[in-house]
Amino acid sequence: MQDMATMDRLVGIFSDGFGKSKFPRSKISLVSDVLLSPESVRKLGVDFFHTGRGYAIPFGAGLKLGNLDLKVVVVVGDLLTLSGNHFLHSARGNMDLVIVCLNHFLYKKVGGEDPKVRYSQVSPFSGDEEPFNIPHLAKSLGAVYVARWTLMHAGQLANSLSEAMRAKGFSVIEVIAPGVNYFLGQRGERDVSGLLEYYYKNSQVRNDGDTQNAGIGPDQKIIVGRFVHKERETFIDSYNRQLEQVMKKKFRAYQ
Amino acid sequence: MAANPEDVFTGSYYIDGDVASAYGALAAGCKFLGGYPITPSTEAAEAFAKRAPEVGALFVQMEDELGSIAAVLGASWSGKKALTITSGPGFSLMMENIGFGAAMEIPFVIINVQRGGPSTGIPTRTGQADLMQARWGSHGDYEIIALAPDSPQECFDFTVKAFNLAERYRVPVMLMADECVGHMTEKVVVPPASEIEIENRKTYSGSLQRYLPYKRDKSLVPLFAKPGDGHGLYITGLTHDERGHPIGDRDLRSSTARFLVDKIRQNASQIIELEEDRLEGADVVVVSFGITSRVALKAVESARRQGIKVGTLRLKTIWPFPEDKIAELSTRVRGFVVPEINYGQIAFEVDRCSHGNANVILVPHAGSSVHLPVDILGAIKQVAKDTKPYASVVSYKTHLERQIFG
Repeated sequence: MQDMATMDRLVGIFSDGFGKSKFPRSKISLVSDVLLSPESVRKLGVDFFHTGRGYAIPFGAGLKLGNLDLKVVVVVGDLLTLSGNHFLHSARGNMDLVIVCLNHFLYKKVGGEDPKVRYSQVSPFSGDEEPFNIPHLAKSLGAVYVARWTLMHAGQLANSLSEAMRAKGFSVIEVIAPGVNYFLGQRGERDVSGLLEYYYKNSQVRNDGDTQNAGIGPDQKIIVGRFVHKERETFIDSYNRQLEQVMKKKFRAYQ
Repeated sequence: MAANPEDVFTGSYYIDGDVASAYGALAAGCKFLGGYPITPSTEAAEAFAKRAPEVGALFVQMEDELGSIAAVLGASWSGKKALTITSGPGFSLMMENIGFGAAMEIPFVIINVQRGGPSTGIPTRTGQADLMQARWGSHGDYEIIALAPDSPQECFDFTVKAFNLAERYRVPVMLMADECVGHMTEKVVVPPASEIEIENRKTYSGSLQRYLPYKRDKSLVPLFAKPGDGHGLYITGLTHDERGHPIGDRDLRSSTARFLVDKIRQNASQIIELEEDRLEGADVVVVSFGITSRVALKAVESARRQGIKVGTLRLKTIWPFPEDKIAELSTRVRGFVVPEINYGQIAFEVDRCSHGNANVILVPHAGSSVHLPVDILGAIKQVAKDTKPYASVVSYKTHLERQIFG
């Protein structure tokens, strides 16, 4: 297997997913607190906004509410640490966003890590912490689409991305992926390909499975699949409907 | 161009400054308010939320101030005029994204109805201590514009102006009201739309492929293009070149960072608005802003009756600071009196711009109420009398300070 950087792989999956979704590329905005290279963005043919860490979700919500014609895909690379509260409330309100959440099992540092290696440069002796069960969290918050795949499930990820983009409302795709290449290189422990294979081999597909059992921990299988696909009125549709009912002719719908 | 009549609630009102600023935002064409209401700015958010549905605008209660300001930046990139309304603690939370907005050069307005601080401070009472934070709060080099209204009418007028400046210079603009002005109820006239001048950001109309988001002409303000129109935008808070691409480690020649300060500094004379009274022949000049300028009037009148030649300079614009005006005045007056509801912010700016030519007395105030005019009068008399140059800014011992410290 070729040793490609996580983001390069992800860009390939985005390209396939965007294509399958049938949305015109010009109407897709990719908002990310992880930097994508200008070359990658040019290949994708979308508009790209690189925000400060943790702010991609509310920035994306504003972008979408500023122009309801856009399809906004948000990449968060911090395992919902800085993004956590924004994730909760955007989901609760059903903002029409697709959230691609990169999970590389590390709370204590930006970088890449292996769940079996429980230390990092800022937790040099041990760094084992309980991660979020992101599919369960998203489902409990009312997300209309929830899936999890490892980065090796390229076809499934592209399909999920396309489905999530067509679903109206808050959609979440968790991607089990190594962090950036260079960090692992510095550590000299394992190459990205090895990690990818490790994730893939230790995963188990359970479409429509109970998200309660989708927690991730040492010596456990990584449960992957599509867990939720449903309909729910979006934030702005709900707003326009409610105010029209109450204010009647005095109301000018938000567009 | 004139305002859209559908956005303007023309009429004569008896409202407070907070409500007036919400009317001003709507009149300016603001269609998006992302906020997390906080005392003493809450009435502004409430008024916006109440009237916005009539004009196709949206109030979104965000999860916190971090989310509020981030959503405002996003909505503005999509082409909406966008606003957030806050006070001290919320303003502090917004600092990181104010820098992000400045770096991306996206227009937006923040209304900060100042309360006592630091920290949670005195939520329901006044303060004027967020001025340096407005100027320097986010890390790195950038410039912002800050306005200081002294009445509910100015809350309306200056909010319209804030949007116009934000759009013209693609810069964060802050309406630095204080609790007194925000909660003061007075007559406010909302004029007909035809009498309200509105500016919109200049947009790019050339070929899609040739668009460079940070290319600029002599005005130093780049042309705007929305996402969704096929320009293939690449926008980042990383230091970037005119394509918007992050610059290489040493490729500083292509960086556009310099323009973040130049576009405001070079246009400072067009931005700054001052109110002057009897500066000609003045021995003492009272420099003030916001509610304090109204309190100072009584002291100025008393001093004039006692034969002291006092002029007044009211800062309608706090940032950029009127450096040239202060420098020029400093060569022909004995000194400046600067009352402010803090322990010294603008007084030090006045001193900096005086270049040692004139004495500067700060009339400090701990917040929660306004100055006693007699304290400002005392400072005027002191600076009029003192002939020796001060070594640095002198802090006047107010009645309150004497009560506390003897």
